[in-house]
Amino acid sequence: MMRGITKRIGSIKFSCVSPDEIRRMSATKIITADTYDDEGYPIEMGLMDPHMGVIEPGLRCKTCGCKVDECPGHFGHIDLAMPVIHVGFIKDIKLMLESTCRNCGRIMLTAEQIESRRGDMSEMRDLGGGTIELKNFSKETAKDASNKGVCPYCGTEQIKIKLDKPTTFREVDDNHKLTPKEVRERLERIPDEDLKTLGMDPATCRPEWMVLTALAVPPVTVRPSITLDSGDRSEDDLTHKLVDVLRINQRLRENRDAGAPQLIVEDLWELLQYHVTTYFDNQTSGIPPARHRSGRPLKTLAQRLKGKEGRFRSNLSGKRVNFSARTVISPDPLLSINEVGVPFIAARELTVPVHVNEHNIGKLREIVARGPAPSMENGYRPGVNYVIRSDGRRIRVTDRNAEEVAENIDIDYTIERQLMDGDVVLFNRQPSLHRMSMMAHRVRIMDGRTFRFNLCDCPPYNADFDGDEMNLHVLQSDEARAEARILMQVQENILSPRYGGPIIGAIHDHITGAYFLTHDNPRFDRFEAMNILSKMQGIEIPKPMADDDGNEYWTGRQLFSIVLPNDFRTTFKANICQNCDVCTRENCPFDAYVKIRNGQLLCGTIDAKGIGNSKGKILDRIARDYGSDRAARFINEVTRLALGAIMNHGFSTGIGDEDIPEEAALQITNYNQECIGQVSDLVDSFQNGTLDQMPGRSLRETLEVRVMKVLGQARDEAGRVAGKHLGLSNPAVIMAKSGARGSMLNLSQMAGCVGQQAVRGERLARGYWNRTLPHFHKGDLGAYARGFCSNSYKTGLNPTEFFFHAMGGREGLVDTAVRTSRSGYMQRRLVSALEDLKLTSDGTVRNTVGTVIQFKYGEDGVDPSRTVRGKAIDLDDLFAEVLGDDADKLLGVDDRDIGDDYGSREKDEMEYTEEEEGEDYDDLDTDFEGGGE
Amino acid sequence: MAKKDTIKALVSRDISEEVAELLLTKYSTMSAISAASVEELVEVGLSEDEAEATLSKIGKRAPRAAKAEVPKTKKTVPESKQEPLEEVFSQRVFTQAENKLMEIAERLGISMPMKIISDIAHAIENCDLGDEVHEKLMVTANRMYTSHLMDKNESTGVMAAHSLGEPGTQMNMRTFHYAGVANINVTQGLPRLIEIVDARRIPSTPSMEIPLIGIAAEDESVARHVASEIEVTSLLDIASVETDITNMRLIITPNTRKIASRNLKMEDIVERLNKIKAVRGLVKLSGFQIVITSDEPSYKRLQIMYDAVKNSKIKGIDGVARAVLSKVGGSWKIITEGSNLKEVLKIEGVNANKVMTNSILEVADVLGIEAARNSIIHEAMGTLGEAGLDVDIRHIMLVADLMTNDGQVKAIGRHGVSGKKSSVLARAAFEITAAHLLHAAMVGEVDSLEGVTENIIVGQPVTLGTGAVNLIYTPKKGENE
Repeated sequence: MMRGITKRIGSIKFSCVSPDEIRRMSATKIITADTYDDEGYPIEMGLMDPHMGVIEPGLRCKTCGCKVDECPGHFGHIDLAMPVIHVGFIKDIKLMLESTCRNCGRIMLTAEQIESRRGDMSEMRDLGGGTIELKNFSKETAKDASNKGVCPYCGTEQIKIKLDKPTTFREVDDNHKLTPKEVRERLERIPDEDLKTLGMDPATCRPEWMVLTALAVPPVTVRPSITLDSGDRSEDDLTHKLVDVLRINQRLRENRDAGAPQLIVEDLWELLQYHVTTYFDNQTSGIPPARHRSGRPLKTLAQRLKGKEGRFRSNLSGKRVNFSARTVISPDPLLSINEVGVPFIAARELTVPVHVNEHNIGKLREIVARGPAPSMENGYRPGVNYVIRSDGRRIRVTDRNAEEVAENIDIDYTIERQLMDGDVVLFNRQPSLHRMSMMAHRVRIMDGRTFRFNLCDCPPYNADFDGDEMNLHVLQSDEARAEARILMQVQENILSPRYGGPIIGAIHDHITGAYFLTHDNPRFDRFEAMNILSKMQGIEIPKPMADDDGNEYWTGRQLFSIVLPNDFRTTFKANICQNCDVCTRENCPFDAYVKIRNGQLLCGTIDAKGIGNSKGKILDRIARDYGSDRAARFINEVTRLALGAIMNHGFSTGIGDEDIPEEAALQITNYNQECIGQVSDLVDSFQNGTLDQMPGRSLRETLEVRVMKVLGQARDEAGRVAGKHLGLSNPAVIMAKSGARGSMLNLSQMAGCVGQQAVRGERLARGYWNRTLPHFHKGDLGAYARGFCSNSYKTGLNPTEFFFHAMGGREGLVDTAVRTSRSGYMQRRLVSALEDLKLTSDGTVRNTVGTVIQFKYGEDGVDPSRTVRGKAIDLDDLFAEVLGDDADKLLGVDDRDIGDDYGSREKDEMEYTEEEEGEDYDDLDTDFEGGGE
Repeated sequence: MAKKDTIKALVSRDISEEVAELLLTKYSTMSAISAASVEELVEVGLSEDEAEATLSKIGKRAPRAAKAEVPKTKKTVPESKQEPLEEVFSQRVFTQAENKLMEIAERLGISMPMKIISDIAHAIENCDLGDEVHEKLMVTANRMYTSHLMDKNESTGVMAAHSLGEPGTQMNMRTFHYAGVANINVTQGLPRLIEIVDARRIPSTPSMEIPLIGIAAEDESVARHVASEIEVTSLLDIASVETDITNMRLIITPNTRKIASRNLKMEDIVERLNKIKAVRGLVKLSGFQIVITSDEPSYKRLQIMYDAVKNSKIKGIDGVARAVLSKVGGSWKIITEGSNLKEVLKIEGVNANKVMTNSILEVADVLGIEAARNSIIHEAMGTLGEAGLDVDIRHIMLVADLMTNDGQVKAIGRHGVSGKKSSVLARAAFEITAAHLLHAAMVGEVDSLEGVTENIIVGQPVTLGTGAVNLIYTPKKGENE
């Protein structure tokens, strides 16, 4: 079917159409403003003349004889009684009128000037100057020419021309109005050579063509009329506008021919100008837009092209496609990261074209014979929806004709086979912000009505399952399938080109699970171990250890090592690392020093830093050194293992996890009170004027800074106290410390104290006159009056605190809304500016014209997704390879700080206000789904 | 050409406004001034030095065409006789280990970025490794390096745009960052990133970081003195101004302590004020006060004088609203609100090599386009880093290189890079659709369909990545039968 593209459009030339050409290519002249007669048939020489193409099925075009969809439509034309100016060219017309003589039409430059200008222009062209440069240059030429008072050729004195927006020209001295006719006459006088000097190409566009004498009427297919249910016809906006033009044109002609007073003719002429102007662009400034009867402004030519919903952005740059599906997504941890679960209802509609050849004809006959809906007795089997004969005719396969169609299949037929397991499809979630938003998956046909995929694929799509929907596209050609499999498959995108680290990796429970499996190296008896490993396929179970009593057991590290490649080695510090002053390495009291040699986990806890997305060092190394196949296998296995471990252990969290002992609560309250006391002291000293002013700050600002600092301490202290009482056995703490979900800040806000609420980074100040709420005294600057919440989420906020918290929360929401649109526009601009750049085979980065942007990509030519933390090569790897295990000793590799990691600060150690907003953003969808508060 | 324009022209030649106005009391055109002699100018009321400087500036000016080629920096060289600029160029000295590795690389025909070689050299500096090991290191490193190279025909641009745009959605709108302890407010987050790619002439919060050198770096009082040279001091900052209506005069009472802290003398203030047009020649020192007596008995005149004097700059650099000291790593540096790189570089005690400003276009004007490119990279990386987002520097380099590609800082967007694309369709699809199409028709433009957007519009494979290569396979006849 798809035999590749045989012809390529090499280039497209733009040009203006001359009135002669408009008449020549016109299928019919339009004279009546009426569209249909009483019987509902289009009137000849009317706006719906069947010579201009057909829109009703069954009818034939009178020009080409084709039916709907075959006939492309043909232009008609209207002969305008008097010429009118084309609004789109108004500025260019003005420039030309100004720069040429009003008498002889020559450009008002001396021969030498023309010569030098022309020379410069051709030089610019030779040097690869773009249209924009030439445009600016021509503009300058015209400006230079227009400053002359007297024509250097015929000596006529020039009169300045003023443009009365939108379309009227006046000569300044006597305010004489230049009619379009006069304008046209002047433009006609400009010789071709002078036009070239002005940057125009007289072969493609003579300036007098910008003053219209004939108006091209687009084919009816461009402006179809719709028949409403009531039987009424509703015409397209363009047709409405053309009706207006025709009516006025008719009246103008009659009046002119009847010798009506000049005034009336001129009025009608202006009206015609208005209608033609709005026909081109209904948003021309300076004139009221033409409106529909209902008051809605008409969508005329410019509006059809412009903007986000315009032809260019919505129909040409993005197109609707067949062979695609969209539905809600849901998780399935048992699928591979490379798979997507497709409901069979969708699979029955989506098809893959298969070309029939002598080798597959027998098999295909069998499939076709099943018809479009084979029985589901033995599970899903693909059927066939259409068969395309070698002459291009499509045959719909039904249960009735299936057998017969199957019989008739021959070589060179194409059958449209329904989706089946293993097909390559593209899977996408909007907004598609980066290339990982659209990846290739292998199909797994499933029951149910949702698309399903592995949870590890959530981060690249930024998907969750609170009602998100995703799109699926079935590839239709072998080339496309091959490309998708090699370049777009999920496993090829594990490493993000943004920062060179893994973007696909373990999340949430996977990390908690790995933590339970490895932290402090727990022992599992046979039952437990088999339970944990039961979901994994094709693994080799290591030899169990035996304790003193002879009972066999497996250690967590042993189990984890199963999924590691045999020769794997690495060393790093886990997420739970406390950043002690002196690292005790293997003897770490928190078991945070991870050391893997020969594929065996020797010590340490596996958590977010080991296998998590964006931070996982093990993952990162496997993906880089062992290839994407191995990385995909590792992710699949490690997540199953971790889920086995967490299910063996059991895990739950609740509000009870934030319980703190009474004395701790008291301690927090006391400290809060102390801080609040300090704040009121500060306020007092501010009011007495005894507050020390900070350099470069006003007294009031000084106060705010000091108060914020004190209250920040209050919250930090509350967090510290709460943290002390929530030990490492607390599930919520485990999640926070291992990097699975949440942060200690979240916990301290729940258990200790919510802290200061802020709007625009400042304490709350707005609301009533001189106070935030009527609960406070006017001018109260104290902690409570300005949005400090000393309660925790768990104890509950009091009414004022609740209100302040809502204020802070609202800011977060507004911020998100503003941010999405602003960053979206920024990205659109970035993409539009950078889309054409590519790395050419000589190592330079160039744009389409061939201008070198970079002589060596990124100064070293290295692909960011293959870098090691932004570095071209990993020195540790290098030394390990060349020097073997001596490397550590020789170079003291371990003594060096073990690498910083990707986005280590991402979402972690941000300022508290930011953190809050970040979290709000995460939870936004959830709130939405849950119906809000 | 009105008087105003002449003044403007003179100012553009680096002549102060006061001098320019003084000149225009006698001369009306530029040529007249340049024709005059030093003595004649002195008569007008200029000092001899000023007159000389003025003449040299006007006379020096080349005809229009040459003007563009003379970099602005050269024109701003100190007022005195021009001395050739000291060439700042210091070649990096290679270490022994580096030299050795480079030798090996040359021998084996390995070409690797210098950065990798020196990283390796740095790591093995203190160990005793044989030649063989060195060689092996280089070979292995080269293998790793070549395997990390970017694939040919990769669409690097889109990758960079994605990598910069995607984290944008995770950034915050209103975050401000207080530079150091100095409490200077600097825009951060998404607005700052947008500002950088927009190539705004003036950032919303311009700021400079000025490390000091010599004793100024060590001694706080000297540092403070330098800061006072930089920070703008207006009259109201150091004195109170009263209007004495009965005697038709302004009385300025400077605050002695504030004057001392800014290293000013009463005479300086008088001199400064005397240069202001509205009160020229009327300012007198009387004891601890400065008195400006109006030359005509009119309230309006008095008010004009008051307004002119009130906010007049006594000292400092234009545009620098605040200069705050901060001590980093044992040496003092100044952090400012407002930016004026050109002037700050002239101040003594400033470590001119290390001065930073966040105004990218100012860097382009003063230090040139390469510096501007580095400034873009530095600012963008800083902004992203501040938000805790990790973006590979190569992406930002590409954006910076594209923005500075033709010697001027171009914005990303309609007025800059996107608006200058070679394809009509691509421009029309981006913004201002109708205008681009109409102009294309007028000049008979040809779209050669080389870019991405154009090819998508006509429905062809794009010219990047797998679409960039063409494979033509002609099967041998009879092979299939």
